Amino acid sequence: MSSLASGPAQRRRFDINGWLFVAPALTLIAIFMIFPILQSFWMSFQQGRGMNMTFAGYGNLVKLWNDPLFIQALSNTFIFFLIQVPIMLTLALVMAAVLNNPAIRFRGLFRTAIFLPCVTSLVAYSVLFKSMFVTDGIVNSTLETIGLISDPIPWMTDPFWCRTMIIIAITWRWTGYNMIFYLAAMQNIDKSVYEAARIDGVPSIGRFAFLTVPMLKPVILFTTVTSTIGTLQLFDEVANITGGGSAGGAAGPSNSALTLSLYIYNLTFKFMPSFGYAALVSYVIVFLVAILAFIQFYLARESDR
Amino acid sequence: MNFSKTLRRGTLAFAGASLLAIVTAQAAELTVWCWDPNFNVAIMKEAGDRYAKTHPDFKLNVVDFAKVDVEQKLQTGLASGVSDGMPDIVLIEDYGAQKYLQSFPGAFAPLSDKVDYSGFAPYKVQLATLDGKVYSMPFDSGVTGFYYRKDYIEAAGYKPADMQDLTWDKYIEIAKAVEAKTGHKMLALDPNDAGYVRIFMQSAGSWYFDKDGNPNILDNPGLKAALEVEQKILQAGIYKPAAGWADWVGAFTSGDVASVTTGVWITGTVKSGADQKGKWGVAPIPKLDVPGAVAASNLGGSSWYVLSGSKAKDEAIDFLNEIYAKDIDFYQKILVDRGAVGSLLAARTGTAYSSNDEFFGGEPIWQNFSDWLSKVPSVNYGVFTNEVDSAIAAHLPDLAKGTSVDDVLKAVDAQVKSQLQ
Repeated sequence: MSSLASGPAQRRRFDINGWLFVAPALTLIAIFMIFPILQSFWMSFQQGRGMNMTFAGYGNLVKLWNDPLFIQALSNTFIFFLIQVPIMLTLALVMAAVLNNPAIRFRGLFRTAIFLPCVTSLVAYSVLFKSMFVTDGIVNSTLETIGLISDPIPWMTDPFWCRTMIIIAITWRWTGYNMIFYLAAMQNIDKSVYEAARIDGVPSIGRFAFLTVPMLKPVILFTTVTSTIGTLQLFDEVANITGGGSAGGAAGPSNSALTLSLYIYNLTFKFMPSFGYAALVSYVIVFLVAILAFIQFYLARESDR
Repeated sequence: MNFSKTLRRGTLAFAGASLLAIVTAQAAELTVWCWDPNFNVAIMKEAGDRYAKTHPDFKLNVVDFAKVDVEQKLQTGLASGVSDGMPDIVLIEDYGAQKYLQSFPGAFAPLSDKVDYSGFAPYKVQLATLDGKVYSMPFDSGVTGFYYRKDYIEAAGYKPADMQDLTWDKYIEIAKAVEAKTGHKMLALDPNDAGYVRIFMQSAGSWYFDKDGNPNILDNPGLKAALEVEQKILQAGIYKPAAGWADWVGAFTSGDVASVTTGVWITGTVKSGADQKGKWGVAPIPKLDVPGAVAASNLGGSSWYVLSGSKAKDEAIDFLNEIYAKDIDFYQKILVDRGAVGSLLAARTGTAYSSNDEFFGGEPIWQNFSDWLSKVPSVNYGVFTNEVDSAIAAHLPDLAKGTSVDDVLKAVDAQVKSQLQ
């Protein structure tokens, strides 16, 4: 009787065949994910030049607290995140709604065109944007030709314009990616809901705001979380657009494009390598992502009731 | 660390067994990382050809990256502790030498037993010495010169004779005249790069650090004067903003700007524009207005290092020793072809150093650079030059906007103090 009471779940837990099947994957995860995570956590308590590291307790935390460059990187990252993510998601949502309209011709073409930036390499498009936005680049000369500006915009030398350029670049690269999620979700919305709304005389703006958006809430939450994580880890664009030049250069004018990930990179590969401190800053990102994701889930759950 | 190393080695050995077999099957081919196709890349190939004449099996693979990529790839490789995929010989800029030597003990092979260092410029040997051992094969000097377009200067009403004994104030005055008359800016400048500050500063015998390597920011007349000149240049509007190295080089090779003040290693790049033959001149750099300042400085300069993980370490050391420490004729060739002012003192008595260069209108430029080199003030680059340099570069836009030099120095000092704890 007792063996029956423990049930199939219990038997499954000791099923040697099952364990053997997952063993290779588990081993790889342990070696390449769990071990490095633990190792980097241990590393974040160490200080020293390069490979000569010694245990420093909370020494790195004290350094983090007093580090103006870290504060700068943190605030830059938040500027990018707070401005860029809403702009991008709104754009993606509007584009998805427009391209979901069966009355529009060449929908497939437009969808492909808007999604296309996502298949380009991050480095390739960053280099391209850099050459487009230099002082005498194509963007400034176009704006001058059509008479919008009289002096070239200092994209590379003014902190505000430098951030604007980065935001334009990321938005170009990622809007299509988020749009695809919304499009897919929109196709799953029952058409009869819209029909009922139309019969009740709800205008198209209203149908979008009060039907489409609430129905897409899980997807919007998902894209918000992934975009947040992506922006907090922003690296390729800022490194390639502003980080070039010499080993001692700043990350954009007045370090205006110094993000947390770029700072971690500099701490490890550009400055006197301080692996311990860099590990601690990466744990700051982990911490931020966790908190922000939690807040977003919490907000979404509240309004679900 | 050991556990992770063993793990990684195990996986790598397993995966790369076939690759290793290929590597050992070929007679040792030396891989070299360096960064300037008109300069050290071409020079290393020349050195390889010379060595191959006496060693027929010798093969050299010179890999050409951007400098910042060489440094970061090297640092990544050293940090991983794996020697596969690493070069046998790598070129390191002098500013970073002590950083690598101190951060990665045992990563570089000491050369003191094999190489006679008494023949080299002492400052080059000194900056690659750690705990009594020397790790580098000293290569080029970064003695600076003021390269200018004679045709533009003359169009603005000046003569080459006026370019001697300049101050930076006079330089700015000339720059304004040049732009008014020719429409060309005087120089190209990357507003996110503090290279010019380093040139100004060292010409006054100052650096970001004192002789003992401690940060020296607030009470440093040389650095202060350097930032003042940088501010004047930024505010006078006499420069063309450059976004990165390629843009900067393009500005003067294309004839867009009238001059460039930088290390002698740029000579090969300047001369690559064959159509500009005879239009260029070289003068001593303008002088800072502080006591002890000279009209000579240094920017960059680099040395070769052998990695101790190299499978062909002995061959690499022998190669460097045979060519870079002994071959006087080699130094004459790289001087004339590439503008490389080596740091082997005996090379300076060679014929090429007294020759005139037609590209620069027949001026004895090598003799001049040799003279300036002997005047370059010696400073301690310390191990944190990149950190302070970044801090300075980040405040260049403030200087341009008119923030006082003292305020900038205070901000830099605060940032550096927190970073170098």
